[in-house]
Amino acid sequence: MTGARRERRAPTGSAANPERLYVLTGGTEAAERAALDLVTLIVARGEAPPTAPPEQAALLRMCATPLSVAELSAYLNLPFSVVTVLLTELLAARLVEARAPVVRSALPDRTLLEAVMHGLQQL
Amino acid sequence: MVSVEPPPTGREVPYVRVLLLPAVLMAAVAAAAAALVDEEARPAVAVCGAVCLLLVLAVAAQAVRGFRTARRLRARHAHQIAFLKRRTDAHEEQSVRLGRDLLPEALLRLGRGESPAEVVGALVDADPVHRDLPMAGRALLRDVLEIVDNERAMRESAQLAFVNIARRVQAIVHRQAAELREMEEDHGRNPEVFDDLLRIDHGTALIGRLADSVTVLGGARPGRQWPGPVPLFSVLRGAMSRILDYQRVDLHSLVDVAVLGTSVEPLIHACAELLDNATRYSPPQTRVHVTAVEVQTGVAVEIEDGGVSLSEEARARAERMLAQAQVGIDLNDLGETPRLGMAVVGRLAQMYGMQVSLRQSAYGGVRAVLVVPREMLTTAPAPALAHGIGAAAVPRVNEEGRLIEEPARPAKRHRQPTGPIASPPLVPAVVAESFDPPQIEEWTPNGLPQRRSRVRSSYTRRLAERAQAAPAREARGGDGEPEPGLWIEAFMTGASGSDETSAEGRRHPASEEEGNHQ
Repeated sequence: MTGARRERRAPTGSAANPERLYVLTGGTEAAERAALDLVTLIVARGEAPPTAPPEQAALLRMCATPLSVAELSAYLNLPFSVVTVLLTELLAARLVEARAPVVRSALPDRTLLEAVMHGLQQL
Repeated sequence: MVSVEPPPTGREVPYVRVLLLPAVLMAAVAAAAAALVDEEARPAVAVCGAVCLLLVLAVAAQAVRGFRTARRLRARHAHQIAFLKRRTDAHEEQSVRLGRDLLPEALLRLGRGESPAEVVGALVDADPVHRDLPMAGRALLRDVLEIVDNERAMRESAQLAFVNIARRVQAIVHRQAAELREMEEDHGRNPEVFDDLLRIDHGTALIGRLADSVTVLGGARPGRQWPGPVPLFSVLRGAMSRILDYQRVDLHSLVDVAVLGTSVEPLIHACAELLDNATRYSPPQTRVHVTAVEVQTGVAVEIEDGGVSLSEEARARAERMLAQAQVGIDLNDLGETPRLGMAVVGRLAQMYGMQVSLRQSAYGGVRAVLVVPREMLTTAPAPALAHGIGAAAVPRVNEEGRLIEEPARPAKRHRQPTGPIASPPLVPAVVAESFDPPQIEEWTPNGLPQRRSRVRSSYTRRLAERAQAAPAREARGGDGEPEPGLWIEAFMTGASGSDETSAEGRRHPASEEEGNHQ
């Protein structure tokens, strides 16, 4: 997990960007976040209003075709939590629609878990 | 004494003429007396008359001489008084000249960077009007100049110290901001941690603004540099991110220009101070509106709040503060409860040629207008519209349609803690080295695997083994205590600067020293 985390691209924007992330989310108080997953698919349902901040406009532009939250986060170079806050606002304004990802089985079976465990031990 | 002096005559009356009258009178009286008395008393009376005549003559001569001496003395006295009066008048004129002409001119020259000796040389010795200044006056002038010079140097060094400290705080804040951004990336999937990080981030930004303010008031330029042009929208959001109540700020209809990299930081700072003023002096439920429109000389950023209107007196005070700051303000003028905002804005406006004015707002509050000159702006495309949107928003491809490999994020460096190094763990390394994943041997009735520790020896025995191993290691040498004298050699090489680490230390001797003293 740490390896995957470290391979993420550098935040190229932050070097030349004076804004901090809390201005984007509109507050440091625990912002309301819709129950979005990394793999939730987002589709735009309307045009961005002219008063929308550039991040929301960009989200709407990109979601013309369905994109997962993880992809949005990567393309916008914004952390997942910021993207969910922005998407929550758009969802409340009914400008985007969230589609649940493929449903996984509720409980994985024991043989799979055991196989994983043994595999880990062999490492 | 006679109060009325006779007019001074050029030639003194001879004694004979003065003494003639009493002598004749006395002679006549004596002759009359001799004629009146009997025949036999006549010689005696004549003798007495002669003696009296002599006496009168002597007394009169003495008196006349005394009078003449007194008159001569008086004349000399008057002459002396006149001379002294001339002297004191000259002195007074000289001191007035010293105070009115010489000293201001000297202070002016001192302010232009000349040394006290140079100023005295140029003003006194080279000037025919002031050349007759006595030694004492010259010494006085020189002493005053030296005291003023010392005072000025002390003030400058105190200010420099302030700026220096503020710069160090800035450096720490910038580093922390960068690290926080990295942490925000890392913990972006954990909303609770993320929100906490944002709060810390906000606090750090506030500290940074304070340090920037001190730097600006100390006469230095804002420290941070931005590599390229930044859009005005991002600049204003950057200003928002440095104030406490950024949620109350609304950005409306901003003109689409970018700010040159060298001018980004001052503009952010000036806008942040004005926004801070606007949010601080208006009720918490009102909004602050920011617009930016193009004007003849550049772009006007208007910041309007819905607070109480500034009274005429308060407005005059704020404008005075702005004007004063434009002339030049220093940290000593701020007083005990400093209201830094306006002073900082004024100072920045003066440094970068911006114009600030405070007017009554249509919303009832204050409307601050900051006119940004054209020299600070550019219409060239800025690298990003906002947070990474634009250049980096979609995966980039080259001409052949292949993805361009983006540089991977550098591995996170965890800096060594500066405190004492933790003591080695108590469990011997021998045991840790031979540790490998435990084999699962049995299962609990619930179906969960049960593990057994492979370290079968007891703790006391392990300690004993370790104690045995230690002398053996030392006998092998290498990682034991260095020979006595070796450490002093290391110290000497470090002090002579041949070592890398000592070179590093030499580069910041001041910070090291301060660190030791704290």
